[in-house]
Amino acid sequence: MAQKLFSALAGIGIALGMGAVILVIEGRQPFEVYGALAALSLGDADKLAITLKNAVPLILTGLSASLAFASGPVNLGQPGQFLMGALAATLVGISVDLPAPLMVPLLIAAALAGGAMWAGVAALLRHAFNMSEFIVTLMLNSVAELFTAWLITIDGPLAEAGALSPRSPAIASGGRLGDIGEFNISIVVMALAALAIWYVFHRTRAGYEWRIAGQNTLFARLGGCPVDRNFFIVMLLSGALAGLAGGLLVMSGTYRLIRGIGANYAWDGVMIAVVANSALAATVLYGMFFAALQTGALGMELLTAVPSEFIQVLQAVIVLVSVASRGYLSALLDRLALRRLHRHSAIARQ
Amino acid sequence: MRIVIGLLNGMLAGATPVLLAALGGAFTFYAGVFNIAMEGMLLVGAFCAALGSFFSGSWMIGVLCAVAGALLLSLLFILFAIALKTDEFVTGIALNLFASGATTYLLRQLFGVRGAFTDAGIQAVPRVEIPLVSQIPLAGEVLSGQNLIVYAAALAALGCAWLIFRTPFGLRLRAAGYNAASLESSGVRPARVRVAALLICGVLCGLGGAFLSLGYVRLFAEGMSAGRGWIALAAVILVNGNPWGVALIALLFGLADGMGLFAQGLGVPAQFTGMLPYIATLIALFVYARRKRRARLGQSV
Repeated sequence: MAQKLFSALAGIGIALGMGAVILVIEGRQPFEVYGALAALSLGDADKLAITLKNAVPLILTGLSASLAFASGPVNLGQPGQFLMGALAATLVGISVDLPAPLMVPLLIAAALAGGAMWAGVAALLRHAFNMSEFIVTLMLNSVAELFTAWLITIDGPLAEAGALSPRSPAIASGGRLGDIGEFNISIVVMALAALAIWYVFHRTRAGYEWRIAGQNTLFARLGGCPVDRNFFIVMLLSGALAGLAGGLLVMSGTYRLIRGIGANYAWDGVMIAVVANSALAATVLYGMFFAALQTGALGMELLTAVPSEFIQVLQAVIVLVSVASRGYLSALLDRLALRRLHRHSAIARQ
Repeated sequence: MRIVIGLLNGMLAGATPVLLAALGGAFTFYAGVFNIAMEGMLLVGAFCAALGSFFSGSWMIGVLCAVAGALLLSLLFILFAIALKTDEFVTGIALNLFASGATTYLLRQLFGVRGAFTDAGIQAVPRVEIPLVSQIPLAGEVLSGQNLIVYAAALAALGCAWLIFRTPFGLRLRAAGYNAASLESSGVRPARVRVAALLICGVLCGLGGAFLSLGYVRLFAEGMSAGRGWIALAAVILVNGNPWGVALIALLFGLADGMGLFAQGLGVPAQFTGMLPYIATLIALFVYARRKRRARLGQSV
């Protein structure tokens, strides 16, 4: 555990150092930039609330990817599942008008179903025809993106009448998530979803079977796990999490489907899963860390004139460097431990 | 007849970047590298091509910059996946995101624009009129007058097939993927072969990227590779890297692209015609899976 934490922090440290080098080359003050980044994402309760709200889609798509990767299926369809979740929540939200206590669960269910449905297409194709879910989900991303874009083009079937930019009508007010104090309710929904998925994954028999299959499918099959059925369930759950991310973004932020909604969130989720090594708790932590970077980035741009896109580069560097240093450091630490062991046994022999 | 010629020209234009990226992917596939960074390499290639062409005013410099940019990504892949032994999948995902972030950032830093950069100063790669061939009625309109990179891609397909199947390097390349231990025991370091495969992949993807930004348009747009690298990966996996198969599939995707343009002329929304290449990929994957299953059933009988 301590070693894991050490490699993670070392990775982030090295990545921030490399980012600082880029900043210095461009003639800026790295400490000032990083200071602004931290102050504007975590400085006070207000900013922390925004960071947490921004973390919701990142953590949910991250959990979607982590759950899938750790259980076997290579689901890279988060962008498409995210969009289908957002679409489902929007569709129900504009056609039904109920009081909030009914409306919110309904829209959440719609978002879950939308994402699960889109992942289910890939799972079905894998099940029926043995088509690799890796490529199918990637292709379905583009299809979902183009499909939703078509729905809301000006004069499209779901476009708001008279709108000047591509967008759908707004969802009914009952489906909109407000704030408790400073904090948006979508944070609570995300936390509940994260707890539920953690519990299922780590504390139930089904989750145990998934983990075994993620480590070694053949072993799981020989041990009597229903591997094919589990594959299906994991794909649906993973899709549902990504769909929930899309739905919550609609319910708490845009209140409608707009063009390019959540363009980067879903891929960031894959990145977070990768850097967290598909561990669920680590995914939540990295999700918050990346959200802090992204939230601070906008303010940083205002204060220091460093373009907020810098953060996109920094994120990728963090992923690469953390993963590489994790492997490298653990090998190094193992070797050091071995050497110490040898020395001890040499002393013992004398 | 006009329609057919238009369709064929659209097909070649659509197939070229996919073909170049997929040929690059074929090398890494044979070498046993799980390389999914083609998408990022295409994107960086497209960006560097526009950058080089804009600042130098010469398309040749632009193409060279594209190759250099994509090679830089190859080197990063080599550094992380081969030297530091990071997982190849993770490296690929991170490099793709790095490419998308870095091009967006540099677009903003260097040109001060978001979304797309276009300028009259960007020189496009020229079309080539082949004497005599261009005189042939109808066929001349397809065979001649294509973009230089289209011809380069066709030659690259021939060259790759020759290199992979007819040279000692090709033998080592295939051995590196097929049985690295026996290659090692014959005195060739598989890691070195993999490095060479990744470098070739970078060069080819750089050319493909240059075609995106300097071929028929003269602009760079954020994310302009638009999944072509993923389609190339699908093509490579479908035919197990065989360059002829890769070329055939790239042409099929190009055809889907060309048909999309044609259908758009008939009033089908652009979003639906845009789906065609991805749906074609899914259909190809379906056919492949069926064939494989039948082959397996045939064996067991």
